Amino acid sequence: MSFKNILENFSKYRRGAEEGGHHEYEHRWGMAIDLNLCIGCNACSTACYAENNLAVVGKDKFEKGQAMHWMRIERYWDDADAGRDFPEQGALFLPMLCQQCGAATCEPVCPVAATYHTPDGLNAQVYNRCIGSRYCNNNCPFRVRYFNFWSYYESSWPEPLNMQLNPDLSVRDKGVMEKCTFCVQRIRTAKDKAQRENRAIVDGEFQTACAQACPTGAIVFGDTMDPNSRVTKLWQEHEVERGPYTSKKPKQNAELRGYRIFEELNVDPSIMYLERVRETEV
Amino acid sequence: MSKMKSVKIDRRSFLKMLGWGGAGTALAGCDLPTTVTLEEGKEEVVSYLMPEEYVIPGIGVWYASTCLQCDAGCGLHGRVREGRVLKLEGNPDSPINHGKTCMMGQAGVQAHYNPDRVTSPMLRKNGTLQAVSWDEALSELNGRLGAVSGDRFAMVTGTVSGHQAVLVSALMEQMGSSNHFAHETINARVWRQVCEDMLGDPMPRLRLDKAQVILSFGADFLGTWLSPVHMATEYAKFRSAPRGMLVQIEPKMTLTGGNADLWLPARPGTEGALALGIANFVIERGWNKVNVTPNVRRALAEYDLPKVEEITGIPVSKIKRIASLLSERSPALVLAGASAAGFEDGYESVAAAMLLNIIVGAVGETIEASAQFPEAALLARQGSTADLIKFAKGLENKAFDVVLFANTNPVYTAPEALGLEKGLAEVGFKVAMTQFPDETAMLADLVLPLASPLEDWGTHVAAYQAGGDPVISVQQPLMEPIHKDVRGFGDVMLGLLKARNKEFEQFADYYAYLKTAMLNMPGLADKDNKNDAAWNNLLQKGLLSAKPAKGKLSIKAHTVEVAGYQHSKEYPLHLVPSARLGLWDGRHANIPWLQEAPDQIAKVVWDSWAELHPKTAHELGVKNGDIIRVSSASGSIETQVYIHKGVHPDVVAVPMGQGHTAYGRYAKNRGANPLKVLNPITDKKTGELATHATRVKVSKVPRKNILVKMGGSETQMGRPLVRTVSADQFRRTEGEG
Repeated sequence: MSFKNILENFSKYRRGAEEGGHHEYEHRWGMAIDLNLCIGCNACSTACYAENNLAVVGKDKFEKGQAMHWMRIERYWDDADAGRDFPEQGALFLPMLCQQCGAATCEPVCPVAATYHTPDGLNAQVYNRCIGSRYCNNNCPFRVRYFNFWSYYESSWPEPLNMQLNPDLSVRDKGVMEKCTFCVQRIRTAKDKAQRENRAIVDGEFQTACAQACPTGAIVFGDTMDPNSRVTKLWQEHEVERGPYTSKKPKQNAELRGYRIFEELNVDPSIMYLERVRETEV
Repeated sequence: MSKMKSVKIDRRSFLKMLGWGGAGTALAGCDLPTTVTLEEGKEEVVSYLMPEEYVIPGIGVWYASTCLQCDAGCGLHGRVREGRVLKLEGNPDSPINHGKTCMMGQAGVQAHYNPDRVTSPMLRKNGTLQAVSWDEALSELNGRLGAVSGDRFAMVTGTVSGHQAVLVSALMEQMGSSNHFAHETINARVWRQVCEDMLGDPMPRLRLDKAQVILSFGADFLGTWLSPVHMATEYAKFRSAPRGMLVQIEPKMTLTGGNADLWLPARPGTEGALALGIANFVIERGWNKVNVTPNVRRALAEYDLPKVEEITGIPVSKIKRIASLLSERSPALVLAGASAAGFEDGYESVAAAMLLNIIVGAVGETIEASAQFPEAALLARQGSTADLIKFAKGLENKAFDVVLFANTNPVYTAPEALGLEKGLAEVGFKVAMTQFPDETAMLADLVLPLASPLEDWGTHVAAYQAGGDPVISVQQPLMEPIHKDVRGFGDVMLGLLKARNKEFEQFADYYAYLKTAMLNMPGLADKDNKNDAAWNNLLQKGLLSAKPAKGKLSIKAHTVEVAGYQHSKEYPLHLVPSARLGLWDGRHANIPWLQEAPDQIAKVVWDSWAELHPKTAHELGVKNGDIIRVSSASGSIETQVYIHKGVHPDVVAVPMGQGHTAYGRYAKNRGANPLKVLNPITDKKTGELATHATRVKVSKVPRKNILVKMGGSETQMGRPLVRTVSADQFRRTEGEG
């Protein structure tokens, strides 16, 4: 895509969620994460390190907020426990990763169009186009973009740890923003395979690394445009629809658990969470 | 074929040809030497542009193996590309982990590619370990083994099963020694003894999926207990409609506790009294499904609720509620883990929980007889701390001349009070078979570098079999050894056996032995097939199921006597050396991914910390990041404070895993090791180390740290990021199942 092309067709590429978002989606990868099943065990986040060549930054840089965990488990204590002696209902665990927003706030602020929307519904990050302005990071309400403050390849993989690096994706260098890609290398491989075999991608034939590792199956990944995919069915069961918050219809059954975090910011996240469940009778 | 100068089937190519079953087609007819290098004196060096026959550039191929990051025995699929293993996933065929993995399993590749592996044998000369050849190392070792008699030889391992267990037994037999010690700090030894005594089955199957309510006394089954990945897959069924309820009683919130519907800390060591109080109330109300003998009834009657509240600190109303839940939400399941078992009367506390199981009718409903693996010789020799203590006693009595350590690091895990280091100094010759320069290896006279689990052959029979037919899981190399001077555990052991008994010479190497042994297992179809179909199928699948030796449960309820609570003026607090899914007992502290992964509850990284209740912290006048000294009668450690409400106010909880004095760049000199200061108190019945029984005092050290942890905010600050609904609502919308 040339710069001229971007300028001339800007409105076409930047069509908002209100106008149906990116034109002619081929797929819209999405997730459903069930907080009733998530146990906060870190299997997903470690799998992400293994799959995506995430750098280990060490204690000092971790303290400065420079950790590169594309997928992290946030742990909150329940506000309801504020008046109690003990957190009687356990902790709150939240797997947080890029929500691959349909109307992503990170995209329009990039001065060089290094982050853009793919016809797969992903917020892609073009590493060799990125100049490190970090505007996208500032503009992300989920705080899931990670900046390479250092050349981690110099320190993170002393030999022979480097032999584990996944050759299907690059190791990022200093000055570049990076983020969850929904394991785009796995998506690419599956699409190529399906194309070679002259068929459509079958739901479940591949998963993201986090979904594959998750011991409780809390993470369901798939194509939300495929009417038969598990993720589509879950979204439907819980009456969560794509599209902007402003045109959101109230649920027929208000008790259904599906919700999208920060939906009210009109970013159209591609991840539906299912509410955590606790007994109230104890 | 032009690059072929000499055709010979060396051991490596033989191994690779047969072993890499997944690539059957790519390997067909392959009898080429698989590496052609200058070192081997070959004239032609083949560029990687002409790939070796078993490599398809750019294509990842998956091979089955077994995870050895803990002893749960999960099946693995390893992705291999261009001769390197890149990623591990669960083997979907494994009944244990159903294609899933935990964080430690994921990090197996970083143990394998660890930059701090031991890469050549080392022999202590003039006080320092120096690199030597295998020939020299083994001739020294064989000389020493030849000179030692019978029980003067000891071997210390972790949990060992499958054909490696056979090799260990064979070596002990050849040496005429009965001193094999299997040591694991994180174990379920007391639980097993109680199950054996009261149910007639040491490892009954727990049907989390059938339970409607689980009452767990400190059993961290999602993180560190029995078979965590398997338990998590079962937990997912337990939490699906109609959604069972989890009540967790423990002094420090574990990962499992973090997921509880009701989490309560009883006063440390009073879990048994609480279980008896609940049992008493259940019977009083006539809610019991099974009647108890008058003896047991009389003993239980002593535990009336006000008294139990006084002992445990749990209000009567809560005890009543828990008791009623066990009957309302039948079937129930009661579990007991480390924090109940880790006391002098730990066995009794766990037995009290089991008594509760019997009374509420869980036995037969949610507790089933295990399907045991039929080959007794292959069953897991499960590690314990009782064995560590026995070993330490032996050292104290100067009972050993030669000690062989394999895949275990007791110098790190043993409490200082056991005097292990002092005792070892008196041992003539200490050998460490290990992958890493750990604390035990640093004290050894000879270090033998082992191949990583991803480079080695083996078979594993998990102690906790997940139901259905029991399986033996095959471990096959996923790549050539990274370091050429390492050897497989089985190969070293077989070599030692050959030196003592010619009979073992019929096996060229451990692979040959393993293959012969596995092909003789019942249940392998077409074993006479010349094309090795049975063997290749086995390697592709990664496991073999066997017809189980069917067990059955026979209930023997007996009276239980738990000790009352004793206050201590000098040492007012209890030390909880908590287990982390991640660093485990410290063996994974050298894995950078696991150091950087925030603890599931405290969210602290790259260090140790001491968890304190806000009340306790207030009394001590400490804030997050302040350094405190935790002192027991056996020593003291210093670490930073993390304050949260998920600990009992009488507790200071310091996780295991850090405080290494060796073990490579990621582990060394980082944090503190709480195991070191434990008092040598044991469970009376099993001799297990009473890990939670150590009393401590805490004092403030005038130093401060910046507590490095994930997340700046401890609460959601009112934002509905994680929203919570009631289980009733869940059942209304998602059904009763």
